[in-house]
Amino acid sequence: MSTEKSLALVLRLVDFSETSVIATLFTRDFGKIHGLAKGARRLKGPFESALDLLCLSRLVFLRKSSDALDLLTEAKLERRFRAAARDLSRLYAGYYVAELLDELTDDGDPHPELFDFACETLAALDTGPQPVSSVLMSFELSALRVLGHLPLLDQCVECGTEMNGSGRVAFGMLAGGVLCARCRPGKPKVVSLSGAAWQMLRDYAQSDEKRPSGEPDRRAYGEVRGVLNQYLSHLLGRRPRMHEYLGVLAS
Amino acid sequence: MSPSGWCGSPALDMAQLSESVTRLIEEFAKLPGIGKKSAERLTYHVLRVGSHEALALADAIRDVKQNVRHCSVCFNLAEGELCSICSDPRRDRGLLCIVEQPRDLMALEQAGSFKGLYHVLLGRIAPLEGVGPDQLTIDALVERVRTGEFREVIMGTNPTLEGDGTALYISNRLADFPVEITRLARGITSGSVLEFANKEILADALAGRQKF
Repeated sequence: MSTEKSLALVLRLVDFSETSVIATLFTRDFGKIHGLAKGARRLKGPFESALDLLCLSRLVFLRKSSDALDLLTEAKLERRFRAAARDLSRLYAGYYVAELLDELTDDGDPHPELFDFACETLAALDTGPQPVSSVLMSFELSALRVLGHLPLLDQCVECGTEMNGSGRVAFGMLAGGVLCARCRPGKPKVVSLSGAAWQMLRDYAQSDEKRPSGEPDRRAYGEVRGVLNQYLSHLLGRRPRMHEYLGVLAS
Repeated sequence: MSPSGWCGSPALDMAQLSESVTRLIEEFAKLPGIGKKSAERLTYHVLRVGSHEALALADAIRDVKQNVRHCSVCFNLAEGELCSICSDPRRDRGLLCIVEQPRDLMALEQAGSFKGLYHVLLGRIAPLEGVGPDQLTIDALVERVRTGEFREVIMGTNPTLEGDGTALYISNRLADFPVEITRLARGITSGSVLEFANKEILADALAGRQKF
């Protein structure tokens, strides 16, 4: 049993007893962990107010054997997600980030790049002027890219033909990317995207700062949203819970 | 087997116990915070005390399950149609405090400084846990504010992200009514020192500063 330290985002809290909780955390150095925080609800204690949903905290914990819950011994609050004070759509967008992190990542599989981007995303939702739709699409595509689930967008997923975006582009949900005109026939679950929507997907999937941050074009966004919603539902095996609450995720 | 025979018994082998004793241990062990050892200890106690005392516990449990329900107005725990607060004519009917659970109401009542009415939501909006506004008593609250004579509605939800989100949702729903919407103050605890307060608490205290 070793003591570990890491920055962590709180993804989920379940009451264990009157004052103790079981927390699911996405840590920067150890990936997703589940830990028991004894006395977490007490005003005075080693956790103070550092174990609230979407808080960024500096965590100390004891790693247990593979099956057991880790034991959280201390947490110091670094930053609180404050969107609940002013805007419900930004709050629900924060919940959506937590849902995707919880559902798409595996226990004990660290992704520091995704962790940093999740922190940036929450900060942007909390304070930034960027529209929620743009911030969330960047996060979704970045999460898919870092975790190896990003659909192939530049070339046909079947034969490798480079796509140029002229005319409409076929996107295969099951194939995991775009399909050229030759490979498309007979493929199940294929949707057709306009060139503008295909370009928007590519722009937001970029890893660098060229990624757009303004209000996305409404028409292309609706198409991209439809594809992303279906793709994520296919990946998770169900529709993400927060889709019901977030109007900006409607296609 | 006489009750005294159980006193001081070091460990229980479930196979050797009577069916009734085993059942009581299992029932106690279902209570929050009670493990198997504690359940055995409580069972020893019940076996040791007189019938009158043991049955008084059973009667109290039966009564609470048969008689206690939610107040039809505020959803606090009540023994009749209305809870003791809603039926008290001395309460200020222009003030309404919204809390998540009856135990939050009890905590505020113990403080003794609030003389208005309450509304218990019976939870908080927690979309990630599948709890939406429809599963709470928010519609009843909106109707209560619409038909009532409240001048101020106080958001007494817990100061957590979900509690604040619930308060924001409710304040949006009540925005069109002619009531002042406030929330509980937050920040530095009286008697503490600034030096040891974390930066988020200090930020809350600064944001919620008031005229001296």
